[in-house]
Amino acid sequence: MLLLTATTASAFVPLGSLNIVVSLSIAVAKALVVLLFFMELRASRALVRTFAAAGFFWLLIMIVLTGADYWHRTDARAPIDRVF
Amino acid sequence: MSDQAIGFQFSTPAQQREASTLGMWAFLATEVLFFGALIAAYFNYRIWFGADFIAAASLTKVALGTANTAVLLTSSACMAMAVTSFEAGSRRAPVLWLLATAALGLVFIGIKATEYWLEYQEHLVPALNFDLARYGGTAEIFFVFYFCATGLHALHLLIGISLVSWLAWRIGSGRINRYGSTARLIGLYWHFVDVVWIFLFPLIYLAGRSG
Repeated sequence: MLLLTATTASAFVPLGSLNIVVSLSIAVAKALVVLLFFMELRASRALVRTFAAAGFFWLLIMIVLTGADYWHRTDARAPIDRVF
Repeated sequence: MSDQAIGFQFSTPAQQREASTLGMWAFLATEVLFFGALIAAYFNYRIWFGADFIAAASLTKVALGTANTAVLLTSSACMAMAVTSFEAGSRRAPVLWLLATAALGLVFIGIKATEYWLEYQEHLVPALNFDLARYGGTAEIFFVFYFCATGLHALHLLIGISLVSWLAWRIGSGRINRYGSTARLIGLYWHFVDVVWIFLFPLIYLAGRSG
């Protein structure tokens, strides 16, 4: 079962195109993660699940906020730095 | 169940078990961020350098990477079986499952070493013999990321293999209490190392394979 999802993940991509690749592969990865957590978190109390979620939540913050800055930088100068 | 020692700060064994689980997850959260920083850098590079960066990913060995993913997933299943059978009271079965887990971990390391060797042959190792003229600077950045991320992961895997082997030895010699947390926590660590690879795999191997 688990091995099947791994091989399908790698089989899909060579046929993919452009950015669908990104969403597909990450979606499959997430499905695998959930499967793994069926072995651990499904039977845990909410407090444990909160601890687990916290790590990924902070990771999300790091990626999103870093991205908000870095991915929108351009080479244009700020008005105060413009050379006349 | 009252024949096991619990710390003086706990009132019941169940409470001690839950506290140890929470502590382990707190540690795993820090590990998520540890690897997450590398992955954030990957996303940055991917967006900055676009096509060149993704094209460099096609130089990785996807067959070996897929095999490694399958190996780690199976090892996680073995680990889960080990923890379950141990907490159910058996002593022989968990040792065998744990040895299978460690063996699969070593298989992963072996495949990884083969990959590293192949990459060395193809002049893809930054700072050692990277062929800049042939592949370009962006590809070199990708391979810096590749070696850092997989090297860090392999280090964690080696730590996991040591822990699993130690646990197998301790269970085999009967010195671990099955109502404690040790086996379960080592299981959590192993599953975490697997999860990291699950995320690294598509980023490294599955990018840039279209067209």
